[in-house]
Amino acid sequence: MLNHSSFDARARWRRRTGCAIAVLALCGNCASAAETVLNPAPTAQDWAALAKLPDWSGVWTPKISDQNRRIKADPMPWNPQAAKQVATMAADEAAGNPRGLFIDCLPEAMPSWMLITHNAMEILFTPGRVTLLGESDGNRLRRIYTDGRGHPVDPDPTFHGHSIGRWDGETLVVDTVGVLPQTFLAVSEAVGMPNNGDLHVIERIHLADSETLYDDLEIIAPRILTRPWKTTRIYFRQRARKYDIVEGVCLQGSFAERVDKNGNAVFVPVPQADGNPVPIESAPPK
Amino acid sequence: MTIQVLRSRALAAVLACAGLTGLAAAHHSFAMFEFSKQISIHGTVKEFQWTNPHVVLWVDVPAAAGETAGTWSLELTSPGNLTRTGWTRRAFAAGDEVIIELNPLRNGKHGGALVKATQVKTGTVFNTNLRDMEKPGLK
Repeated sequence: MLNHSSFDARARWRRRTGCAIAVLALCGNCASAAETVLNPAPTAQDWAALAKLPDWSGVWTPKISDQNRRIKADPMPWNPQAAKQVATMAADEAAGNPRGLFIDCLPEAMPSWMLITHNAMEILFTPGRVTLLGESDGNRLRRIYTDGRGHPVDPDPTFHGHSIGRWDGETLVVDTVGVLPQTFLAVSEAVGMPNNGDLHVIERIHLADSETLYDDLEIIAPRILTRPWKTTRIYFRQRARKYDIVEGVCLQGSFAERVDKNGNAVFVPVPQADGNPVPIESAPPK
Repeated sequence: MTIQVLRSRALAAVLACAGLTGLAAAHHSFAMFEFSKQISIHGTVKEFQWTNPHVVLWVDVPAAAGETAGTWSLELTSPGNLTRTGWTRRAFAAGDEVIIELNPLRNGKHGGALVKATQVKTGTVFNTNLRDMEKPGLK
């Protein structure tokens, strides 16, 4: 449950960002005259400070049944244009149309990784940074800067956006902007809308109990939603070594492992039908 | 010419030359499977494709089986998730006799989402339910 209003957090972030923009505006030519900003080498004190943070070690597996339950119980507040397209996609999915959002193996991106993943993640604390590492699509990585920096004024859009975080007690409050407009706000792997720009995600990540992690998300997607949408995703901690994160390269499944005429081990592309399985009539590719 | 174009042309060339019919386990939804239906097949492993994002077990069902005869592609979740549910890349190998429970493709072709796989020679059963992992501290 939210123990603080994320709208408050949103307002605080806006104030900060606003201040930063105001300072830049006053500064005029400062940007060009400014000295290069260095990321300082961490001190022994910086490393020691990490020990005071909550223990988020281990591997976190998503509660898939809760993802599904929440999507049904609290659907995204699509605007009329988006709702129409989503309804079409949902009907296609129900009819067994295999077209999916991620068949090209581009990252699920923010916030869909957090919303619909079936794969585990781990979280690393280093001085000035929290890093989320996932598996499955080969490029599942979020860098959350906790060194006090703000967002760039004009961030280069990326799949996971630009994230800054701060600790509010034992809760990590993360603010993300700069996400590529083409990335999806996904209901499932088959249904979702491109965010179409101006996406802003605020998260409060915290332990709900010693072994359960909550990500309380507020998703502000003004091009496709009628209002900010709040939801939560739940992850369970595993410590058994068999749960360790494994490498997951999304495109690997598009290639068969074969031996070429020179005896070299090679990957050979195998056919796709709209990125989906083409049930074979005879045999896997030779 | 972009790399993408080159890549798609190379793929087209490979397909044209080889006349392949095969499976690419791209990161797709599972909408094409009929989850209200579960069937069983009995056959021999042709290949165990231990790849992300979807592992694929290819199974040959002998002609005597009638309607189910032929090669099947059975799709699973990712290697990471399967490892956590007790699978390994050595779980199956070509030639293994297997009994597979599956949710078939809606289009009636020989493919499906694998529900349960049994190694006949050892009796070992492999399940695929990720919901079994929905609690902390699993061993």
